[in-house]
Amino acid sequence: MDKEINPGETIIHNKNVETALNDDQVSMSTMQFSRRSLSTQVTITQRAYLEVFGLKNYPVGVELGEEEMRIGRGDDCGLKLPLHGVSRQHARVYFRNEEYYIEDLESTNGTYVNSIRVSRCVLRNNDQIEIGQAKIFFIEERMRRKSI
Amino acid sequence: MTTGKNSPAQVTFWGTRGSIPTPGRTTEKYGGNTPCVSIVYDNNYIIIDAGSGIRNCGLELVGSGLGTSENPIDLHLFLSHTHWDHIQGLPFFVPAYVPGNSFVIYGSPNKERFLESILSDQMDTQYFPVEMTSLAANISIREMSDEALRFGDLAIDWQEQVYHPGGSVRYRITVNGRRIVYASDVELDQIFFPDEKTEETERLAAEYLAFVDKADLLIADGQYTEEEYKTKKGWGHTSIPVLLEIAYRAKVKQLAFFHHDPQHTDKLLNELWTKYSPKYHTADPPMHIFWAREGLTMPI
Repeated sequence: MDKEINPGETIIHNKNVETALNDDQVSMSTMQFSRRSLSTQVTITQRAYLEVFGLKNYPVGVELGEEEMRIGRGDDCGLKLPLHGVSRQHARVYFRNEEYYIEDLESTNGTYVNSIRVSRCVLRNNDQIEIGQAKIFFIEERMRRKSI
Repeated sequence: MTTGKNSPAQVTFWGTRGSIPTPGRTTEKYGGNTPCVSIVYDNNYIIIDAGSGIRNCGLELVGSGLGTSENPIDLHLFLSHTHWDHIQGLPFFVPAYVPGNSFVIYGSPNKERFLESILSDQMDTQYFPVEMTSLAANISIREMSDEALRFGDLAIDWQEQVYHPGGSVRYRITVNGRRIVYASDVELDQIFFPDEKTEETERLAAEYLAFVDKADLLIADGQYTEEEYKTKKGWGHTSIPVLLEIAYRAKVKQLAFFHHDPQHTDKLLNELWTKYSPKYHTADPPMHIFWAREGLTMPI
């Protein structure tokens, strides 16, 4: 992703991660009425964002999807941070097994989660990431909703 | 993540919970799996304890293409002791089922029963459908002696810990001049602040301080709050204020609270971090403290 981030803008990086209940899940029921009838139109939606602080005229919000997002000073980073202490390719956030991870890309000054230097860390709601002068909050929400 | 020579060792927490796995919404952040930590450096792979967290450790290894029949690996598992929460994940460790892998399990030589029989009994068909003899990896079980243990540039030494029912072992891994200490399941309150000091408690305290001295990372039992400890004295686990005081006295650089109480929710552990962290973070010298969480890999 190489879209330029404008101050205060929330970017839709990718489609939401949605998991429809499969047939096995909906057919297992001891109820006298079909669980399918209750759940065929229900999807589980997981949305996650990075909210960046520390840039002039920011914060900025970036919505995460299933595709990897690179963070750094480089023009090819999905989240570009033109800040002191940030490497060109500093870290990446990726999605695996329904969870988001952050991984340091051997940056010069390190990637911190809740003040601890990490090589990699699964991300949880409200985790505070520090990359150079930038403070980034990871915000995640999961919900079940009717798809229609 | 790079794990070659001249890169940091990578320490990963796979399970941080004490006593029993605690899945659920209230333990999602810090994790519900029982103890397991891996340390990787320059293709040397060490695991400490085989709680339920070791299952994910094995899946990650195999998923990355290591420990498979095409790409076998040498694994070294060090057990602190054989209480259930420290061995219960072993039957679910996928690399142990892969022919060609070498899997050496180390433990204390000072138990009433042989380590091999304790681990085999856990996989008796009354408890688990696969017997230990069916594991396809080349498995070797060793009760440690005084001989130095070294794997490439990783050196390991150990000491017995007595203030835990049945005892336990603490380990120190030294690599590139950095020290990682794993010292779970011990009641330091009884050693450092006993009702009556004796030569024995003084000796044990000095031994502990020397072992963890200036550790770059100390992974330690801090299961109980100060209030909880009042009713858990003699249960074999340390209270938070005591661990903080001892670790700081030993000039530990990073302290990971470990073996979280099953009743401790993410909310409580967040509150404990908020309560205790600033004092030590801003101290001179600073000591960075955190509550260990599953899925965290640190460069040391």
